[in-house]
Amino acid sequence: HDQIVSGIDWSSTSNKIVTVSHDRNSYVWSLEGGEWVPTLVILRLNRAALCVQWSPKENKFAVGSGAKTVCICYYEQENNWWVSKLIRKRHESSVTSVAWHPNNILLATTSTDGKCRVFSTFIKGVDTKDSKAGSSAESKFGEQILQLDLSYSWAFGVKWSPSGNTLAYVGHSSMIYFVDDVGPSPLAQSVAFRDLPLRDVLFISEKMVIGVGYDSNPMVFAADDTGIWSFTRYIGEKKAASSGSSYSSQFSEAFGKFYGQSKAATANDASESSKSRGGVHDNCINSIVPLSKAGSPKVMRFSTSGLDGKIAIWDLENMQEELGHQF
Amino acid sequence: MAGAAEFVEADNAEAIITRIETKSRKIESLLKQFKHVEALKTALEGSPPKTRDERCKSANWIVVHRAIMVIKDIDGMLNALDVEYYDILMKYLYRGLSTGDRPTCDQCLKIHEKLTERAGLGCILRCLTDTVNTV
Repeated sequence: HDQIVSGIDWSSTSNKIVTVSHDRNSYVWSLEGGEWVPTLVILRLNRAALCVQWSPKENKFAVGSGAKTVCICYYEQENNWWVSKLIRKRHESSVTSVAWHPNNILLATTSTDGKCRVFSTFIKGVDTKDSKAGSSAESKFGEQILQLDLSYSWAFGVKWSPSGNTLAYVGHSSMIYFVDDVGPSPLAQSVAFRDLPLRDVLFISEKMVIGVGYDSNPMVFAADDTGIWSFTRYIGEKKAASSGSSYSSQFSEAFGKFYGQSKAATANDASESSKSRGGVHDNCINSIVPLSKAGSPKVMRFSTSGLDGKIAIWDLENMQEELGHQF
Repeated sequence: MAGAAEFVEADNAEAIITRIETKSRKIESLLKQFKHVEALKTALEGSPPKTRDERCKSANWIVVHRAIMVIKDIDGMLNALDVEYYDILMKYLYRGLSTGDRPTCDQCLKIHEKLTERAGLGCILRCLTDTVNTV
């Protein structure tokens, strides 16, 4: 790759790594004799590739790009070659994130035009028609099943729940959106929360989602028994409720100038806590990835990585009672 | 909110302006009875976010401004206000701050500090990123 590698995904069964980059290229890496050997995949993009994900069966992968398109790539056995098919329609702006439904055919995408869309990526010869699911009507490649207009600002980080029944994605206006019963009559909820926006989400069980973002501290959202989603708590240290000292020293100074009061008193104790803001990450967390068997309904461990260059592995083993019965 | 259906028709500007006038009369009477919180709630309630018409927005801003300026007990007011009004109030506070008028800015700044403590930075974020429903 010549430029930033913007997306990477590792398939657990077939043990292949796919990487995409701003140089509009993608490589599939296979382990041969202890060395990772790259194979170029021609994506036919004229803008940067932004994100990539292997499909659940690992026979396809999806790439979101700044060219307002999504590339679905599959392996053609006869030519020994990865072929890319583009979904050109519908997106009005860069595709920031893609997520596969467990049925290996439906793909959800989020874009900087604020919308979340679900497409069918049925490819003849690669996918088998599922006769029981009523999806025969939409099994044309690139057909849009659903468009969600919930956000007014950029959308990021879409993920399906383990069963594929619920969709969650984040908006840049400090909102997180949950859509239950994705299909002809979906049930959407917009949850506004206190702090800085999120960048990525992960379903750790059917009814619990962890969001990570600019607050550098993972947030837990859960659906109660009636199906209403809400913010539960932060993982790790709990922030002080609503006192001025819950902001870092940078914020207190800025707010101090704003309000024209001297924050000299609070600046003292803020400077002690400025380095140890608590928590693991110092800067925005960009991505959250599960560390468990693919397809298992509960995620016990996950890892986060951020703009501070750190990767942290979180274990939820000890937090089971605190997370409640939805976990 | 009563009358929420009317917001979708952006060309009903005249109807909205008449409604704002009735609202402002109601607010004047509430203010005379020193019911400041009620007045602010009524002012925020009918906010016409989906209209593009500047006159409607300005008319509503004048009404909200009136209600904001009389507030003396900020904490009490925020206690009585429901959470769903925080985002709209924040938008009007920023409109007030943009006027540059000294007493308005002072008052808006005071309320802004308390509101941020309660509603968090997410509230500010939502005002900044929402370019569709502006006040």
